[in-house]
Amino acid sequence: MKTIIEPFRIKMVEPIKLTTRDEREQLIENAHFNPFLLAAEDVIIDLLTDSGTSAMSAEAWAAMMRGDESYAGARSWYRFRDTVKDIFGFEQVIPTHQGRAAEHILFGVMVQPGSIVPNNTHFDTTRANVEYNSGEALDLPCAEAGDLDSDYPFKGDMDIAALEKVVAEHGPEKIPLIMVTITNNSGGGQPVSMANIREISRVARAAGIPFYIDACRFAENSQFIKRREPGFENTATIDIAREIFSYADGCTMSAKKDAFANIGGFLCTNDAELAHRERNILILTEGFPTYGGLAGRDLDAIAVGLCEILDEHYLNYRLDSTRYVVNHLLDAGIPVVAPAGGHAVYLDAARFLPHIDPLQYPGQALAIELYIEGGIRGVEIGSVMFGLDPHSGKEKPARLELLRLAIPRRVYTQSHMDYVLEATGQVWERRNEVRGVRIAEAPRFLRHFTAKFERL
Amino acid sequence: MTTRNWAEPYKIKMVELIKMTSRDERLDAIREAGYNTFLLRSEDVYIDLLTDSGVGAMSDRQWAGIMMGDEAYAGSRNFYRLRDTVEEYYSYKYTVPCHQGRGAENILSQILISPGDYVPGNMYFTTTRLHQEMAGATFVDVIIDEAHDADSEHPFKGNVDFDKLDALVDEVGADKIPYVCIATCVNMAGGQPISMANLKQMRAWCDKHDIMLVHDMTRVAENAHFIQRREEGYLDKSIREIVYEICSLTDAATMSSKKDAMVNIGGFLAMNDAKFYEKACGLVVVYEGLHTYGGMAGRDMEALAIGITESVQDDHIHARVGQVQYLGRRLREAGIPIVNPIGGHAVFLNATKMLPHIPQDHFPAQALSAALYVESGVRSMERGIVSAGRDKATGENYKPKLELVRLTIPRRVYTQAHMDVTVGAVENVMQRRDEIKGLRFAYEPEVLRFFQARFEQID
Repeated sequence: MKTIIEPFRIKMVEPIKLTTRDEREQLIENAHFNPFLLAAEDVIIDLLTDSGTSAMSAEAWAAMMRGDESYAGARSWYRFRDTVKDIFGFEQVIPTHQGRAAEHILFGVMVQPGSIVPNNTHFDTTRANVEYNSGEALDLPCAEAGDLDSDYPFKGDMDIAALEKVVAEHGPEKIPLIMVTITNNSGGGQPVSMANIREISRVARAAGIPFYIDACRFAENSQFIKRREPGFENTATIDIAREIFSYADGCTMSAKKDAFANIGGFLCTNDAELAHRERNILILTEGFPTYGGLAGRDLDAIAVGLCEILDEHYLNYRLDSTRYVVNHLLDAGIPVVAPAGGHAVYLDAARFLPHIDPLQYPGQALAIELYIEGGIRGVEIGSVMFGLDPHSGKEKPARLELLRLAIPRRVYTQSHMDYVLEATGQVWERRNEVRGVRIAEAPRFLRHFTAKFERL
Repeated sequence: MTTRNWAEPYKIKMVELIKMTSRDERLDAIREAGYNTFLLRSEDVYIDLLTDSGVGAMSDRQWAGIMMGDEAYAGSRNFYRLRDTVEEYYSYKYTVPCHQGRGAENILSQILISPGDYVPGNMYFTTTRLHQEMAGATFVDVIIDEAHDADSEHPFKGNVDFDKLDALVDEVGADKIPYVCIATCVNMAGGQPISMANLKQMRAWCDKHDIMLVHDMTRVAENAHFIQRREEGYLDKSIREIVYEICSLTDAATMSSKKDAMVNIGGFLAMNDAKFYEKACGLVVVYEGLHTYGGMAGRDMEALAIGITESVQDDHIHARVGQVQYLGRRLREAGIPIVNPIGGHAVFLNATKMLPHIPQDHFPAQALSAALYVESGVRSMERGIVSAGRDKATGENYKPKLELVRLTIPRRVYTQAHMDVTVGAVENVMQRRDEIKGLRFAYEPEVLRFFQARFEQID
């Protein structure tokens, strides 16, 4: 059977307001040409992020109703903790209100001024948290990651030779931890192989450096390993996930991705002394260690979501439906990162709009056009997001100029995706008319969220 | 006054079952928890009066709001509703949502405080003071002396002593004071209100010195109730009007909406100054989330907006405070020493008087809180020397005059029968108080030690 069928049916819907093209021209101008500043109700298909935007199941909603909101020692906490321990295997579990808070706490205790944190590719808040603590966020993607046409199966891999060189040069004194992001979001949602994870772990352990995993999309990555990496065809996805984490010393997790939750995250480690210091910060900025800034019902919803996400029927549907969009774009000759990643489609804005200079932000220009064309909201991942060094204030083009269309989990149907394909095709037809933008004003950290733009 | 001058302006729509435990089970549980009620499992607790924070019962309308969550990452309609509600009810023009109150305190402190600054306030609160200290400021208590006297019947023990404020300005200069932080219904003083007159004077004082006035507004509606009942000229004003007036006198606010607004999670930082708002938007994205959700799910912003409208209903707040007063009066009638007048969100047992045989450095309030749990399964919170922590300069314990156990009443959760059981439990503890032993630290955390400390009994 070629038809991709959802292993669920719809139990609750949310109406979408439709807008006209004229209205959208005005709305995006009012939003200073930054889709982040649009009111959500003015968006028809919201592909800004897959974070916190998923549809929970009836089971997760039922768990929400069971939430124990006690301030300390709630039953919800024990259910949450036991589920996280069962899947991730770490001894210490620290709940946080979302992923960036876990990162903030982790880097707050581990990163010193001058520290270097290697990663396959840091995502925006991860990079910001490292830099906020005056560390250097060092990206070490594998060579294939830069070749958007390569069909290498694990383009999220880290460059092991480069890692070994950095470790040899700086050692554990300067490198407080090594991190790998699964799947690699900034690099096109590409998976990391088990072989690569083992290698990173080997390098880290030989040098005595803790190895952490940014686990946001661990289930999608695990399913890619099952599908693509020899030797894992018959391994249950949950066991692949367990093996991944067995090589690490800890992880950060945004439960808003691969746990279907609308809010929440956590930090794990095997180091009790470190966890103790982390909890001291947690109490100050997040909440008491048994709720960490989350309602009890959200802890329960995450526990259910973590179990549901590892359902292989769901994961196959998820990966196939993302691939469906990518393959149709490829068939239409539209430049897109291939092979398809797990959670998003990445249009290659540099090749889509070759007449726009990188520092006139082709990804942002494309985001604006796609909104005007179809009311579709995506996010630039290019020189707006990564072009500015917050310490020097200098700007240089990012490695890739992408427009990410992130697909919320279990929210949109195939006809929604067909509509996205049609709108993208129409922008492609008139691509030569598209103009670049300039930044009118922006903050120093995480500028893409609130920057204001003007069209050139 | 009869005790029957209030009744709940709601009926029960959903219940949560609670487990009964035996005394032996509770003895094991409290030992396992190191005599710290924070470390008990909630399922081992019969009546949970640890806190009123995040533990209120939402209304059916709030639950309906939970179903109306718009979980878009940017520009959720729930955000706009929340922002508009804050402006309509609390007067502040700009709202930055935060996952809870301490998130707002963190951002406020980082933006406004420079190292070496002083922040005066009407008594410290644990997390608030720590955020101020982390940003490099020293907290200065400017509350009236009566606030530190558990027996004083002053109707507004949350008031500011302007002599103390003037003395601070003389000593350090107004330019070293970035803002004054005023809490409505001062928690550590026993849930004691500040008067409108005092607040107006505070406003004038801040204008004179060109200092910003920040409002810790967690329990503003309860404060409004006391103004309505105790201050001349306010009996005919609605709680909603009084709340609005209080807020209008201040420039900015931090809110833990887990209290007054009856949500399980959420808070915000609000202000009238556009520049301050822009800075807050830049910082909230680092710690909390994009400025249109600030770490809150859309549904929780919706429930919060609805909760704000419910929190200022006269019937609601009278029943709320009425229940707290009922518990306090019953305890007082039974001869239990409590903080007077009875506050808005909790009744505070005076541990110094209840356990005169235990010196303060053997943590009488902590010991009382543990004993009350063993007696009855009622969970309370220490608010005394353990909560006060140590002076960061000398390393010595702060020795607060008030050595209290807080019985905090969650909003709309417990019935009068639950309150009666609580009274009986405290009476029983009172009768065998000579058996209660002091405690010492088995483990003492460096910051906010009361949360995770472990104790052992001194034989």
